[in-house]
Amino acid sequence: MSATATNATNPRAAAQAAARSAVNWVVGMAIFLALWWLGGYFIGANPKTASFAGFGLIPTLEAFPALWQSGKLQAATLASGERLGAGMALAIAIGLPIGIIVGRSKFFRDLSNSGFQFVRMISPLSWTPIAVLVFSSWDGSIIFLVAIAAVWPVVFATAAGLAKVDPAWFKVARNLGANPVQMLNQIIMPAIAFDVFTGIRLALGVAWVVLVPAELLGVTSGLGYTIKDARETLSYDHLTAMVLTIGVIGYFLDSVCVGLIRRFSWHRGDA
Amino acid sequence: MGSRFAGLSYSASTFVAGLAILLGLWWFSTWALSLSPSTSQFASFGPGPAFKATWMMLENGHIQKAVWSSSYRLGAGLVIAIAVGVPIGILIGRSRRFRELSNSPFQLMRMISPLSWEPIAVIVFAGWDAAIIFLVAIAAVWPIMFATAAGLAKVDPSWFKVARNLGASPRQMVTEIIIPAIAFDVLTGIRLALGVAWMVLVPAEFLGVRSGLGYTIEDARESLEYDHLMAMLVVIGAMGYALDSACLTLIKRYSWHKQ
Repeated sequence: MSATATNATNPRAAAQAAARSAVNWVVGMAIFLALWWLGGYFIGANPKTASFAGFGLIPTLEAFPALWQSGKLQAATLASGERLGAGMALAIAIGLPIGIIVGRSKFFRDLSNSGFQFVRMISPLSWTPIAVLVFSSWDGSIIFLVAIAAVWPVVFATAAGLAKVDPAWFKVARNLGANPVQMLNQIIMPAIAFDVFTGIRLALGVAWVVLVPAELLGVTSGLGYTIKDARETLSYDHLTAMVLTIGVIGYFLDSVCVGLIRRFSWHRGDA
Repeated sequence: MGSRFAGLSYSASTFVAGLAILLGLWWFSTWALSLSPSTSQFASFGPGPAFKATWMMLENGHIQKAVWSSSYRLGAGLVIAIAVGVPIGILIGRSRRFRELSNSPFQLMRMISPLSWEPIAVIVFAGWDAAIIFLVAIAAVWPIMFATAAGLAKVDPSWFKVARNLGASPRQMVTEIIIPAIAFDVLTGIRLALGVAWMVLVPAEFLGVRSGLGYTIEDARESLEYDHLMAMLVVIGAMGYALDSACLTLIKRYSWHKQ
């Protein structure tokens, strides 16, 4: 894209582009919030739906101070964050090595493929009853569900990243006397970092889908539980505030991944 | 011709071998657990009981009913997601203003975990079926929308110019130029959407309905019928695999080399 090429060498054009995208962000959000406010207004004005006025924009925004002061927002975010983090860490710790093996060994890849494809397509929440039986705590079973969902994108993205690595590099490294550990640290990891972070971004998206329903049963903390609680107490403004919070947190986590991907993106000569 | 046959039989045999290895691991892990008295109840999780239960559930029609109910909700949700997502995706691809202004709200809404909408969906829609279809649709619409927009970005702008020169109406522009060019990307988006929808469908069926794959799992769990539970896991995996393979076949069919 010629715009990016000019921006790299022209700081004024880059600043203008940044300002333009900031304005777009604000205006886009403003239109969205206005439409939401309008919808809430009509819901409140109609006597048949007036009891659901809590879904509107203003009640939702007014719910945030109450949620923050009571500590509910922070507690839910922390509880969900712990489960998500543990599940993701597990998925990466398992998925990365398996992905490397899949990428390096045709034998393993060919034999494991059909099994992986089958287990991958078992909807993650289907494992809930088994997870609950196997793990002593609900937290453990939620972490398991997040991990079993998130491991597949990590495995396949890592394998794909390895497929892009130029085999000549391995030969050169072997000629220069690299041992397997150095092969891993100096050749494989830097080369596949971009694809691994792309896989982590996808895994995070999947984990985010799985986390909330996993927290609807059996636990008394977390974002999913707080939504269920708000519904049961008919606190629709709290409910919508939590839904918005979930979107904001998800957006933030995804942006972090995108930033990491850009950081580790590098041009290959033949790309 | 001979090497093509050899290639096919190699991939067929590795396919079968892979599943056999999976089956072996499944059998071994439940057999090992059944040896210790503290974990012996897991014996009913094994492949033997599961396949017996599968056969029984096929005979009394439970599996067919569950597959039918879930397929109906999945299909309806995906159709809505396509009907909404493709036009909006085309709009995003064609109009820079719309793309720039819609980006921030769409990125925010996309990252709302789909099942978070469940309490709202249950209130808004009269029946649980409709609520589940809504949840599937709201999850599936985003991959379709963005894949469609990405497909349009790849379309060579000169094709639009040529079509306009040759007197194409807007409708012909859509059916003759846009749709064939983006078919590959849209189908890729549908495959991703199916993956997300598949994740959302099962938990959505845990509550409020008395049919479908998710309900059948919950039912098996509550009546402690673990062989039925494992049978449903196999059915869900097989069905998901079949749907995903169908998408892959469609994608290959519409794949064409761009210069």
